[in-house]
Parts: sequence; C-alpha cells; structure tokens
Amino acid sequence: MGMKTRVDLRKVFVVIPARNEKEHILKVVEDVKKYVSNVIVVDDASTDNTKRLAENAGAIVLRHVINLGKGGAVKTGCDYAVENGAKYVVLIDGDGQHESKAIPLFLRQLNDVDIVFGYRKFSKDMPFMMRYGNFFITRLNRLMFGICVRDSQCGYRAFTSNTYKKIRWQANDYSMESEMIANVGKNKLKYDEVEIKTIYNNNYKGTTPLDGVKIVFNMILWRMRR
Amino acid sequence: MIESSLLGIQFIGMLFGVFMIYITFLHQRRKEFTIKESVFFFSAWIFLMIIAIFPTSLDFFVLDVLKISRRLDFFIILGIIFIVGLLFHIYTVMRTTQNKVENLVREIAIRDAKEKSRK
Repeated sequence: MGMKTRVDLRKVFVVIPARNEKEHILKVVEDVKKYVSNVIVVDDASTDNTKRLAENAGAIVLRHVINLGKGGAVKTGCDYAVENGAKYVVLIDGDGQHESKAIPLFLRQLNDVDIVFGYRKFSKDMPFMMRYGNFFITRLNRLMFGICVRDSQCGYRAFTSNTYKKIRWQANDYSMESEMIANVGKNKLKYDEVEIKTIYNNNYKGTTPLDGVKIVFNMILWRMRR
Repeated sequence: MIESSLLGIQFIGMLFGVFMIYITFLHQRRKEFTIKESVFFFSAWIFLMIIAIFPTSLDFFVLDVLKISRRLDFFIILGIIFIVGLLFHIYTVMRTTQNKVENLVREIAIRDAKEKSRK
C-alpha cells in the first residue's frame, strides 16, 4: 500500500453494489483486493453472471432475489459488514468508475472524521446532464443541510461503523447518497473529502434526470423531517 | 326530461349495486374475504342501492345538517373524500409491504452468505 494508514485493515470492509456488471466486476474486485481483503459484492438480482464472477474474484457475495436498487444493495452490504465486525466501511461502485487506489486515502482521512466523501473533478468527460444536475443538487444540499461537499452524488465514500448506525438511510434508489448527506447534517458529524479520478464507461447506468427530480423532491421531505 | 334522466341514473345505480353484490358473493364463496369484509361490502352495496332508489332519504342530513344545497354536490364531496382516504390507505399498505419485502430480500441475502461461509 502506497500510503500509511493507521486503521486495522482486517476491520475494513469494502461494499460494492452491482447489477448486471459482468464486464467490470471481476476487475473491480481484483483491484480492491490489492488493498482490502474483506470485499462484499451485493448482487442486486443481476440476470447475468455477475455473482459467479465476483465469487471467483474472491468476494463475499450477497444476492438479492429481487432488485431493490442501489440504496437497498448498499444497505444490505453495510448491514452484513457491521454484523461481521467491520469498523470501517468503504463504498465503491461496481461499474468500474472508481479507482481502488484511492482507498488508502479514504482510510487515512477517516482517522480524524466520521465520514469521507469522494469528489470528482467536473470535467467535459462527465455527461452533460449529470454535470449540471449534480451541481444543482450539491448546491441544494449546502443550502438545506449545511453540508459543503463538492460532489453530492459521488458513490465513493468511507465511514466508520458507528457513523453508519447514525446515517443508515431509508432510500433504496439513487437518493441514498443525498439522504446520507442529510443524515450527516442532522447528526452534525465530522466529514472530509478526497478527490478521486473517475472513469466514465459507455454504458452509463447511474442517475438519470428523472432520478434527479426524485432526489430533489426527497430532499425537501428530509428537510421537513429534521 | 329531468325526472326520466334521474330514473336512468337510479337504474344504473341499482344495476351497479346488484353487480357488486354478485362480485362480493363470488369472492366470499372462494373464501377470499373474511366474514367481516363480506358483511361490510354487502352492507355498502345495499346502502348504495337504497340511496339510488330513494335519493330523498338523505335530504335531512344533506340539506339541513350539512347545509349542502344539492344532493349531487354531497355525493361528489363524499366521493372525493372517499378516494383521498382510499389513496392514503393504499399508500400505507404499499409502503408497509415494500418495507417487508425489502427486509425479507436483505435477510435472505445475508442468511445465504452466512450459510455459505459456514460450509
């Protein structure tokens, strides 16, 4: 590992939600395994061989019999990790967007704070709608929950198991990332950010404009619930 | 002209009531409804038929108590209240079911993984 971390790596679990990720999952798990041995892939009712590939790569695979969505999948993985003695949880997307070499950076930052958010540099590589939708939601997060993160929709995050108990979200879809931020604001948790490099694949399956509308609507509800 | 159209509406109301009684009876025969549910639905359809045949029977309540000038307005208001209530009820039932399914899916996934790790 290039960077020294003070965390016990046996207590670190990486949770990877995946649905029909046969093209990326093997590489994602293998890359993550270079840094952390406890890798959980939550197969959200894939119709391809994502589960088998993840198992072959050495991950613990939790399979949903029906599709719950990204939020639901990550929650399953985190529940399992915490039940099995995780002290630190790192979330990485299963579509190969995130580079696992940033894991040590996240863990190092986690020594001083409760949660670490990844942020992507907004570049021309980022799909147009995503760039502006993300910008708008991030600003709204700042306004509504007082959390100044640079990228509210980035799925690359790390937190302690105690933090997870406080921020455990209800959303099963892509709103989970924003709900997590809302819960961080609500519990006044300490947070930090790490810049990450993102690889955008051609078959982008992430947040759609409709998801964006749903997220904004949910944010208003969470604000009222506070 | 007005009286004949009212009679038509009354006839449709009666037919609808009879049809719904038949549907309720079918569900009850297949044991898909509990006795409580059957009694509730049979009473509701019979009440609907009585109202259809004797629309003036509610006049005291509609005109004097609620101060609604037309019977039709009363039924429209009642219908809207009923639909809103029904929507809320369906939403809560759906949400509860959704939570149950989510927990079940999660429990199965975690249990299977634990069993596999034990082997």
